[in-house]
Amino acid sequence: MLTFIIRRILWTIPVVLLVILMTFLMMRQIKGNPFRNSERAVPASIQRNLDRKFHLDKPWYEQYAYYVKGVATADLGPSLVQRNQNVNDVIKQHFPVSLKLGAFAMFFAIVVGIPLGILSALKQNTISDYLSMGFVNIGYALPSFFISTLLLYFFAVKWRDVTGLPTNGWGGWRTWILPSIALGLAPLTVFARITRGAMLETLQQDYIRTAKAKGLRWERVVGLHVLRNSLIPTVTAAGPLLGYIITGSFIVESIFGIPGIGKYYVTSVTGRDYSVTMGITVLLSMLIIVANLGVDILYGFLDPRTRDQRS
Amino acid sequence: MAIDERLAAERAGKERNASFELAMEATAEGRAPGDAGAALARASLWRDALQRFRGNRAAVISAIAFLALLAFVILVPWLSHEDPYAVNFAEAYQPPSWAHPFGTDEFGRDLFVRVALGGRVSIAIGFAATFAIMGVGITYGSISGFIGGKLDNALMRFLDALYGLPYLPFAILTLAIFGTVNFWTMVVALTIASWFTTARVMRGQIITLKENDYVRAAHAVGARWYRVLFRHLLPNTLGVIIIFVFLELPGVVLGEAFLSFIGLGINPPKASWGTLAQDGYSAYQTHPYLIVIPSLMIAWLILSAFFVADGLRDALDPRAREY
Repeated sequence: MLTFIIRRILWTIPVVLLVILMTFLMMRQIKGNPFRNSERAVPASIQRNLDRKFHLDKPWYEQYAYYVKGVATADLGPSLVQRNQNVNDVIKQHFPVSLKLGAFAMFFAIVVGIPLGILSALKQNTISDYLSMGFVNIGYALPSFFISTLLLYFFAVKWRDVTGLPTNGWGGWRTWILPSIALGLAPLTVFARITRGAMLETLQQDYIRTAKAKGLRWERVVGLHVLRNSLIPTVTAAGPLLGYIITGSFIVESIFGIPGIGKYYVTSVTGRDYSVTMGITVLLSMLIIVANLGVDILYGFLDPRTRDQRS
Repeated sequence: MAIDERLAAERAGKERNASFELAMEATAEGRAPGDAGAALARASLWRDALQRFRGNRAAVISAIAFLALLAFVILVPWLSHEDPYAVNFAEAYQPPSWAHPFGTDEFGRDLFVRVALGGRVSIAIGFAATFAIMGVGITYGSISGFIGGKLDNALMRFLDALYGLPYLPFAILTLAIFGTVNFWTMVVALTIASWFTTARVMRGQIITLKENDYVRAAHAVGARWYRVLFRHLLPNTLGVIIIFVFLELPGVVLGEAFLSFIGLGINPPKASWGTLAQDGYSAYQTHPYLIVIPSLMIAWLILSAFFVADGLRDALDPRAREY
């Protein structure tokens, strides 16, 4: 098990290098130099100094090496647009907000989605199965900007006097509720569907019939055998679902006016703040890579068969 | 239990209908119904699949809904007399009515036509990006699976590294690189980080198919590699490919809507469902129908495509249910 974990962790190093390289090469393709396009003409000597300071006079692979070094030492360089702001500052300011929102959304998705999946699997082809799967399918099909707007329209505008929820901002539990629900709905539907599918498959296994046949109470069969075995696919889904959360946060944060990293990312792209764009892209990618690592290790614990096959 | 039985009875009825139709066709062609030889000759994989698909009520309804949506976006701008770009402030923000079934926007433009036109853009981008994703994924996956060995290992390691990366930041970066948003840059942006799953599944398919006896036989009789690949392997993946088209399409349409919604969409006065929804969002407190209608169109497309994909999977490959 230990060698599996170590091998898996070491494997993330080339992965991170590759992802940074790809982002780096993409960023280089964006037209326009951050300094040369400014309205005030910059004298040639200052231009040279600027180029030297930011290593722009070096060939691309050296720039890449500098950037990797920066990532390794957690220094993502200065912001090109906001004076006296580092990319680190931007991330420190905005990332915790997104992290919190994402955690709330994930919590909501798990707490509602998994029981929903369990319920509809145990009561397959009954009204409660149809209702919960109908809800899941509708939640899956409605775009997150629509769900956000619906929540806003009803809970923050129409029934404002009852709920007292604000339409935007970030501070205090009242501002957390609606965006967390809006962001969590997409992963919720995935959790519910995967849990249901896995449960139905587990319920058909021979060992479940054996457990029933030897006279175990049904609650115990479900708790001991069914749940445990069918939550494995759900755990593995949690990694890729982080991508859903990240994608959704771009929308949800801009609708609810939340000062998170997704909203800032869009601002940095349109404002041509390349170092911030690059920094956030690398950060989000590393988040995914680490989540995949965590899921693989967890999977190794839950299902020993996978340890030898995946490195 | 009652519902179960009714469903089973209905399904049986459908199957009876289907076999009845088969028999009818057989008689029409001058063969005796129940002529086993004739039935066998005609029961190809696709015919079988079509029968199974027709027996699946949800899939049939979804397929009709999907086609109806296509008909709506294609026909309405043709048949309507409304000019989708004519500004008329006297008619601004009209709620849905007989004259304007979907109402009008802030410039008094008829939304029925604009939603249909926007649907053309969204669906066209959706199909183009889906085919681009399939193209890249199929090429990558079949090279990896067909050649195998070290190359396969390297290509799959590369895919593993990219696995799970969110497509949206990379799509945004791509649009920034192009500097403009139009049909084709949008297609590239939506393709660039979305083809990984297709490539992986295609590789798996090719590797499984490679082990079949008929492929070995083809090799044994001296068939060249391209004949094996294009005659024996790729045609057998067609079912999976068709399913994947319907699985990818909703995601791509949604991706386009997301990009449009955060302000990286097709330029006005042209519109897609995403840009229409964004327009509607800015007035959601006073005129909620402006965002409701384009969003429901997106939901319509996603749901119908999803159930069509589900039905196709059951019809084409009843055993494989993992993807």
